[in-house]
Amino acid sequence: MPTITIDGKSVEVEKGTTLLAAAQKLGVYIPRYCYHPKLSVSGNCRMCLVEVEKAPKLVTACSTEAAEGMIVRTASDKVKAARRDVLEYLLINHPLDCPICDQAGECGLQDYYMEYSLARSRFKMADKARRQKRRAVGPHLVLDNERCILCTRCVRFCSEVTRTSELEVMERADHSYIDLKEGKALDNGYSLNIADNCPVGAFTSRDFRFKQRVWFLKKTPTVCLGCATGCLMEAHHNENTIYRLMPSPNAETNTWLCDHGRLTYKAVRAGDRLTKGVIKNGLIDLEPALREAGARIDEARGAVAVLGSPWLSVEDNAALARLAKDSVKTENYCFDFASEPGIKDGILINKDPAPNTSGTGLVKTAHGGLSLEELSRRIAAGQIKVVLAEARAAGLLKDTLKAAAPLLVIFAANKGEIPAGTYATLPYASYFETPGTFVNYQGLRRRTAPPVEAPEGVKPLWAVVNKLAAYSGASLQLDSAEDALKGIVFK
Amino acid sequence: MENILFKDNVAEIEAYFAGGGYKPLKKALGLKPADVIDEVKRSNLRGRGGAGFPAGLKWSFISKDAEGPRYLVCNADEGEPGTFKDRELIRKNPHALIEGMAIAAYAIGAGHGYIYIRGEFAAEAELLEKAIAAARAKGFIGKNILGSGFNFELFTHRGAGAYICGEETALLESLEGFKGQPRLKPPFPAIKGLFGCPTVINNVETLAAVPAIIEKGGDWYAAIGNGKSAGTKLFCVSGAVSKPGVYELPLGVTFRELLEKSCGGMKAGKRLKAVLPGGSSTPALTAEEALAVKLDYESLAAAGSMLGSGAVIVIDDSQCMVKLLQVLSRFYHHESCGQCTPCREGCGWIEKILNRFEEGRAGRNDIDTLYSVAEGMMGRTICPLADAMAMPVMSFVKKFRAEFEAHADGKTCAKAP
Repeated sequence: MPTITIDGKSVEVEKGTTLLAAAQKLGVYIPRYCYHPKLSVSGNCRMCLVEVEKAPKLVTACSTEAAEGMIVRTASDKVKAARRDVLEYLLINHPLDCPICDQAGECGLQDYYMEYSLARSRFKMADKARRQKRRAVGPHLVLDNERCILCTRCVRFCSEVTRTSELEVMERADHSYIDLKEGKALDNGYSLNIADNCPVGAFTSRDFRFKQRVWFLKKTPTVCLGCATGCLMEAHHNENTIYRLMPSPNAETNTWLCDHGRLTYKAVRAGDRLTKGVIKNGLIDLEPALREAGARIDEARGAVAVLGSPWLSVEDNAALARLAKDSVKTENYCFDFASEPGIKDGILINKDPAPNTSGTGLVKTAHGGLSLEELSRRIAAGQIKVVLAEARAAGLLKDTLKAAAPLLVIFAANKGEIPAGTYATLPYASYFETPGTFVNYQGLRRRTAPPVEAPEGVKPLWAVVNKLAAYSGASLQLDSAEDALKGIVFK
Repeated sequence: MENILFKDNVAEIEAYFAGGGYKPLKKALGLKPADVIDEVKRSNLRGRGGAGFPAGLKWSFISKDAEGPRYLVCNADEGEPGTFKDRELIRKNPHALIEGMAIAAYAIGAGHGYIYIRGEFAAEAELLEKAIAAARAKGFIGKNILGSGFNFELFTHRGAGAYICGEETALLESLEGFKGQPRLKPPFPAIKGLFGCPTVINNVETLAAVPAIIEKGGDWYAAIGNGKSAGTKLFCVSGAVSKPGVYELPLGVTFRELLEKSCGGMKAGKRLKAVLPGGSSTPALTAEEALAVKLDYESLAAAGSMLGSGAVIVIDDSQCMVKLLQVLSRFYHHESCGQCTPCREGCGWIEKILNRFEEGRAGRNDIDTLYSVAEGMMGRTICPLADAMAMPVMSFVKKFRAEFEAHADGKTCAKAP
């Protein structure tokens, strides 16, 4: 365990720790572009040069390992001069198009220029190297080679994380540029991470481009519900609109976010978002829709089936269980969703596409119920007259439902989810609009935090269930999501 | 004194053998590898590619305990402008290189060797192939060499034209089939080199000196030359001299002697203005400095320059230093691999400033900008290519500032044809 001194402060670090990591431990920030904690070290940007006593030259903090007794200076005149010079070199051929650049406000060049340079330009405008601008590379990204500082984070991401190696540095010297390899497209399912990793505005997200200046964005930490992995992320939003989702790197689950998960917020403001109830194909207000659905359930009672959903929160599933047991008083309910969880692509995407299979299991433990096979059998046998289910969970029994054709009462947030032949559809608030507890495939309990409000008249699912109970049986008297959780034990 | 490297009529293996060739290999194979390394250490043989690192010391960095294969690589990617010694050496004395490699491989325990030869040297690559085949036929290369149980296979690999592949780790990248870009060090090649295995990389001239050292002893070699700069060196002289060419002389020879005795003095009617003593990337010396200097590692360092590859570029007073630097900068701009920021951007910037001088668009403040751009590149990159651009720029501006000022004031090059 070598002990080293950085800017007069001494620190003991594990063998193999780099100067950059050691400095971080002391709270000393060393500027960097090419360094990324989850990618290999390339040492090309030269921004992290620091002075080590007795070393003949400045060394890169990202690649130099701490050795016993090292005396490191990160703010000496030599280091400051090196940073100023490196920034000048990086900026001479940069287009300085910050006013029309999406990266402005969170740009490594802008930030470090303010912090470490503030020098006037000595480079003749006419001498600037010109490169290709704004070119779509793949479904999610635009590449502007003029803004690129050739740190190769994108190249390393594609070769080391996704192992798809779409990108390469072409040519040499100041005519170098990042490009797709022959015949490749940047569609590896994780491509938007490249826009995050790009320290400048070279790679920008086609989805986010020109939508919002980053300094207006507010950040709400939440959970991705794109699959059972349950990645931590941040929703960036302003004036009740989400503009993008960004990963919140954490040791337990994720550094990155997949493209699918990152675009899950689109459903919130999609054209088919449900803000009213649907009876057959006609839109009606929630209240009459509830009354109609409630009446049908009330008629059938013992022949009603309630199906929970691994796409819903623990609270909402618990409310459904309470509805079946305490209000409708049917024994035909099911919270049994088997899955074989595990990362399927070696990165983040889970074999289980539902975010809360584990959480639904907790509801089953507390409330019991039928197995999915048994429920399916009863539906097929014609014992069930009305099925109340969340849209995607209903999809799991698609063929049985089609064949037996019971009356379908479906919870759906978007019209596109509604299964064919549905009688009544009830809208509910998405988890970008209401909090909910989810348990990911690792058994980690995570809560969504709502960055935006639900459209007027749209309620959280537990609240819709609470109202439905009043029309279909005994009242549940749920005042909050937590009320539904009675009897549920989290591990 | 007698030449060690440049011998006549030894290109064919029979002639080389008749002159005592491959006896040093036999002798080496009778020694312990560590003793071979000690002999080379004692000789004070230093790297002839430019950096001057002690060869024996480099060999000793290969750990005896390292598992898996080790490699020996000969750097024959002679690309430094003004340098043409290795090509001559391969033409004249290929078996000295092959024998030197076999001895070095034995010393470090390498079973395979590669000669990475500059792509343009097609004829020399072919010549080497033939020489290796001849050596293999005689049992000097291959399995169980001279009955010793030592196996060594030797291959040539032609480069594809990048100057940067003369930098040893870029060479390894290229040899492995990747884009030639220097690697971040550490780890150094002795720990993690070719294909991730311990590797020694030596210049052609360094390896070719090894057989003589083994034959006559390290002490004999160390006595030649000038103290720490031991042995002979191939000086390749170009420019305004009567007889440009490659000359083998003991290190420590004066520039004056090289110019006047070997090269027959300056070309008729030309006066010496400046010398780049070790290739295009070494700091320039003025005529006065050059005429007072000895050509060896220490003396040239003391004079503010470097022995480099021994490429002595002689500049006469009809040459424009600004124009010359512009030509050099175009080369380095073209050859920068583009990996590190200071080199990638700085080399291009320097060329653009020099273009302005030559086109009459520069002002006096551009002289200081030029200098500071070069200064900002020095010692801040992965490999020394940035330094190789910066050193001539800084020395030209320091020592020939008046010519830059004349360009800025007169808006023209006074020496333009």
